[in-house]
Amino acid sequence: MEKGERRVDGFRFLPPGLAAWIRTFIPQEEFSGRIPWTPVAKPLKDATMALVTSAGISLKSDRPFDMEREKREPLWGDPTYRVLPRGTTEKDIQVHHLHINLKPILQDINVVLPLTRMAEFEKEGIIGRLAPSAYSFYGYQWKGREFLKQAIEPMSRTMKEEGADAVFLTPA
Amino acid sequence: MGQAARFLEEAGFSTVVLTPTHEFHRAVGIPRQAAIEYPYGRPVGQTGDREGQRQVLLASLEVLEKARKPGETWHLPFVWPEEPKNTDWHPPEMSPIIKAHLEEIKQARKKEAEAREVLPQRH
Repeated sequence: MEKGERRVDGFRFLPPGLAAWIRTFIPQEEFSGRIPWTPVAKPLKDATMALVTSAGISLKSDRPFDMEREKREPLWGDPTYRVLPRGTTEKDIQVHHLHINLKPILQDINVVLPLTRMAEFEKEGIIGRLAPSAYSFYGYQWKGREFLKQAIEPMSRTMKEEGADAVFLTPA
Repeated sequence: MGQAARFLEEAGFSTVVLTPTHEFHRAVGIPRQAAIEYPYGRPVGQTGDREGQRQVLLASLEVLEKARKPGETWHLPFVWPEEPKNTDWHPPEMSPIIKAHLEEIKQARKKEAEAREVLPQRH
């Protein structure tokens, strides 16, 4: 079901050839399978929010995402993840991603992982709490679902331990 | 990202994906998404634009609260201030998958262009 007055064109920024190619992988008809669903249990002002991005961000002190193997095997994407503590800023990070321009993220982490903005919302009482940990994995997962086991499952365990109710996800 | 959201919903978290390509929902089945027409790598907004980023985030959080059924896409009204060709979102080097599939990409573009030429004649 689609809502909103203005319809977004998700292909507007892509070159026409690449857009046409990607469209060959997307069905014309609506998704008809089962969609998992956890109803929102409490108002935002009481909820703990965790942030996840697929932008390939890691702390400078942590190991970077593996771009070299992808260069050798174009259908492989690093299936691991990194923890980014709240309070992390662009000064603390490195970004590895072969599909986007990294400069804006290195200038302002909030363009893809809005840690500072959400901390403001916490202070203003718009959200209950920003979780102590945020997470990045690497969004280019063409081949398989290994990243669910290697990245999303372990991060979900930490989210539970830290009392997260809701998760805000930003693809790169 | 859709698969990650599905996994997390299954694990008991309410999720919202702020996506520049909401069309992937048709392939994946994404629980809740806020669609935005912003360039890749900057779904929340422009660098240094605190107020713009806040507006996008508030609208996305609203989707979390107002979506009632699995699979809802809410289209956000925000407009990126630059034309696509000026957004400079591309990586400095062509990505490995594109390098490896250049011929298929050309063919897909050709097929779409041909389909567009044929369609008006049918009406």
